[in-house]
Amino acid sequence: MDYSVQQLPDATLIDIKGRIDHKSAKDFEEALKSHLGEDQTGALVLDLEELEYMTSAGLRVLMIAAKTLAGQQRKLAVAALQPLIAEIFKISRFDLVLKIYPTVEEALQALSPGAEEG
Amino acid sequence: MLQIQRPAEKKSLDELLHFVSARAADRGFSPNRVREVELAVEESLVNILTYAYPQSSGDVQIRCENDEERLVLAIQDHGVPFDPLSLPVPDMLAELASRQVGGLGVFFVRTMTDLVEYRREGDCNVLTLTFGRTTPAAGG
Repeated sequence: MDYSVQQLPDATLIDIKGRIDHKSAKDFEEALKSHLGEDQTGALVLDLEELEYMTSAGLRVLMIAAKTLAGQQRKLAVAALQPLIAEIFKISRFDLVLKIYPTVEEALQALSPGAEEG
Repeated sequence: MLQIQRPAEKKSLDELLHFVSARAADRGFSPNRVREVELAVEESLVNILTYAYPQSSGDVQIRCENDEERLVLAIQDHGVPFDPLSLPVPDMLAELASRQVGGLGVFFVRTMTDLVEYRREGDCNVLTLTFGRTTPAAGG
């Protein structure tokens, strides 16, 4: 699993590539950890266009991140899901845990401060 | 009949998953379906590591049955009696604040397979996963 971070005015965008399995779930947790601080504001958006595989260990990390961010009134969003990832999010009703967008652009647009609550 | 046996530990996951994805590819499964197979097997193996060998170690064996159309995998371990199908599925409609953090592994095994069966045979747990060519939810 590889990742890169882009700090935008109202959001942190993390581009995640590769696979999140039971071995790399710890790396995924580390990648998100520094953006879950109480001193931070803005949405956290994950670009998953190049994420090919995710197990329940990855969903577990996302669930904890979503709960943490909700406590700070911050949003967690994912965008550009590949078919397998879209499928596991759908069947586990992760649409109730975080926001899902077809593209990063739409995610950033929807989460910008001026946008209406979706 | 093809099979693989390795110590039941995280280090073995790559080899075991490579074995099953090769068997799926042999049968002409699509790349997406191959990943679904890997996912179901990985979730099953992690549960074996956690619950069948909680304080001991042992091997896990995966046998690929001689079915040309479907992929039938028998995953066997010598751990404590452990039926993964008895693990509760979390309430996925719960509100975020009260939603359970884990527990989705077995749910993925059920949804990715056409059939999943467990039996205890002597001192072995045997979990048999059957995969058809298309994702069950797609109506295949």
